[in-house]
Amino acid sequence: MIDRRSVHPMAWIAWATSAGFVAFLTTDPVYLLLLWAVSWFVYASHRVDADHARSFRLFLTGAAVAVALRTALVFFGTVNAANTTFSFLEGLRLGTILVIFGTFNAVTDPFGLVRMAPRHFHEPALAAALALSIAPRTVAGVGRVRDAQRMRGIRIRGARALPALAVPVLERGMEEAHTLAESMDSRGHGAGRRSRYRPQPWTGRALLIAVTAVGAAATFLAASVGGWAVLHPQSSPIVWPEADPLLLAAVGLLATPGLVGRREA
Amino acid sequence: MSDALSFEGVTFTYPDGARPALDAVDLAIDEGSFALAVGPTGSGKSTLLRAANGLVPQFTGGTFAGRVCVDGRDTLAHAPRRLADVVAFVPQDPGASFVLDRVEDELAYGMENLGVDPAHMRRRVEETLDLLDLADLRDRSVRTLSGGERQRVAIGAALAAGPRILVLDEPTSQLDPQGAEDVMAALQRLVHDHGLTVLLAEHRLERVAGWVDVAIGFDRGRVRSGTPADVIGHLAAGPPVTRLGRMLGWDPPPLTVRAARAAAASATPARLRSVAPAGNGDARGSVVAEVHGLHASYGETTVLRGLDLDVHEGEVLVVMGRNGAGKSTLLRVLAGIHEPAAGHVRVLGTRPRPGVDVALCPQEADELLFNDSVEHEVRATLAARGEAGGAGPWLAALGIAGLAAHHPRDLSAGQRLLVATAAVAATEAPLLALDEPTRGLDPGSKDRLVGFVRAHAIAGRAAIVATHDVELAAAVATRVMILAGGEVIADGDPGSVLGDSRVFAPQMTRVFGPGWLTPEQVAEALT
Repeated sequence: MIDRRSVHPMAWIAWATSAGFVAFLTTDPVYLLLLWAVSWFVYASHRVDADHARSFRLFLTGAAVAVALRTALVFFGTVNAANTTFSFLEGLRLGTILVIFGTFNAVTDPFGLVRMAPRHFHEPALAAALALSIAPRTVAGVGRVRDAQRMRGIRIRGARALPALAVPVLERGMEEAHTLAESMDSRGHGAGRRSRYRPQPWTGRALLIAVTAVGAAATFLAASVGGWAVLHPQSSPIVWPEADPLLLAAVGLLATPGLVGRREA
Repeated sequence: MSDALSFEGVTFTYPDGARPALDAVDLAIDEGSFALAVGPTGSGKSTLLRAANGLVPQFTGGTFAGRVCVDGRDTLAHAPRRLADVVAFVPQDPGASFVLDRVEDELAYGMENLGVDPAHMRRRVEETLDLLDLADLRDRSVRTLSGGERQRVAIGAALAAGPRILVLDEPTSQLDPQGAEDVMAALQRLVHDHGLTVLLAEHRLERVAGWVDVAIGFDRGRVRSGTPADVIGHLAAGPPVTRLGRMLGWDPPPLTVRAARAAAASATPARLRSVAPAGNGDARGSVVAEVHGLHASYGETTVLRGLDLDVHEGEVLVVMGRNGAGKSTLLRVLAGIHEPAAGHVRVLGTRPRPGVDVALCPQEADELLFNDSVEHEVRATLAARGEAGGAGPWLAALGIAGLAAHHPRDLSAGQRLLVATAAVAATEAPLLALDEPTRGLDPGSKDRLVGFVRAHAIAGRAAIVATHDVELAAAVATRVMILAGGEVIADGDPGSVLGDSRVFAPQMTRVFGPGWLTPEQVAEALT
């Protein structure tokens, strides 16, 4: 179910941009891990449906891989505690940004974004939404093809079995893209006229989510510019990371979507 | 009356085509006609349909000669999007045609592009929701819909844009019998009351022959249009009543059950009443699959509730029921790729081993083709079990030996389905499960599929087939089971189960009463 009373997509854009910005400004593991927790909380209380949930798990895996790879980069230089810690924290930041993006992807209907895009941005917005919908569709397609091949006694294991999985998934993807392009053109896409069907209302709740998120980002920006809190813990020598109460509260603000509930009363 | 759609000397060849897909086609479709395109797979029906709004040749390339006019506009001079206000097109695979996510938004998409004003748009969406019985689906994501629901949403989305011409490629292929009837009735109402022009292609002629007023026969790119009686009445592969009429020499052969009853009454097949119909056989061997107290669900939706079922050697069990009744889920559980929530499922005494004891050809059969030729496709299955044999016997059994060297991608949807069936059957699993195996199949291919499945069962194995196609059930089943809301509501021999149903009765039952299933069976009893 896609509820018309769900949160306005613009509020999610504000949330994701702000949370991403916060992650970008810090390598302090306390804030970063708290951001993972906040993202999980928001995802758990707002996920759209099963397909999106599956692609969220994909982003989680991606984030874990990013942390591991970035940490492993240390082996290209001098391996010591300080370098390893530095690499790990950089990786953690990258992973955090991925998790935030995964949450955004799981809680918004990308096509809701298209519908509210201003007329001149309609084309790029639709292109972006179609691109975003590829991830969940491909995940679903991989599952179906794997099942179908098992029926022929073909197990998808190892590189030799790859064509049995990749060829149908890619071929179908191409075919669907072609049908979609035909369908859009047949249905008047790009004919130059446009009107909008039932725009989603901007609500107090959406405003609250957007304002708290921007507030969180502004607090971190102030700390970064003003230098009144440590955002990048020292790694040589390694010291226990600090946690400024105000910044902790700012990260906490990003949990607002999870507290206000899924839909308007 | 003026022409809504006209083809003048149209010859078209696809970029890699060896011969023209359309060959010197001259055709005029009047405004307010309800026209049906009929003909075997690959005879040019889809090509003609796609030429009606310029997708052919504008999206396909190839060589095009002649002129197609829609409401006076030349399709070469206008891009498909510039014709969207006049002609709407519903493709064969409706799922891939959806642009937005929510059903209600999808219905409005075409109107948004045409700049229809919001108040008018809102009204038109609500009307369309009612017309195609979609109100309950309004907030659903199109990705979560069943095949039949998708088809209805796609038709609704095309209609909502308010076109004067509606073109549909196999619009009932995924619908249950009642759903198909509802869609045809809705289309006819629009044709009669609002002057809509409809052009559709369909293989299941028994579902559409009685509704249309023009038929266009296709044969290797050439077309001939006329009254339905004229065109369909002369087809060897007509609907069952027409086939019976041809076998018995009724002139003209009937197109509808009603006409067949009238003909049967005057031609008095009185002997029929004294003869008990011969069934499809009920040879039952030992148990192949057993299911007890099966519950299955998807996420929070319960799909099957407490199902009991035994499948025996020699049986062809056909599972029917409306869209979403749980047919596909039952097949997936039996095939071992859907974990039941509760219950006992055994195939040959063990948990189902996919590809060994049981093989399922899924609805999206395309998704298991990955080789560069039809021959290699079947060999890939044989190789997986360490067999070195050739694909020949499997292809021959399904009547596609001539396609062995073709790339599966170059085949029609129906032909690909047969290739997938051969590739799955080549596992030689004792339980063969087919999910909706006649989508896109022309009647000739369907007959061969029937022969193949029956041979599989007669050889001491078993088959389970989920389908909406009542004529397939009539021809192939030794036993029919009807599901509703995840429960079995009827189970028994096809003569009594199908004979006892208003929705699932095949044409011969409707004409001659319970027990009569196929025209061949009736003709045999009469001669």
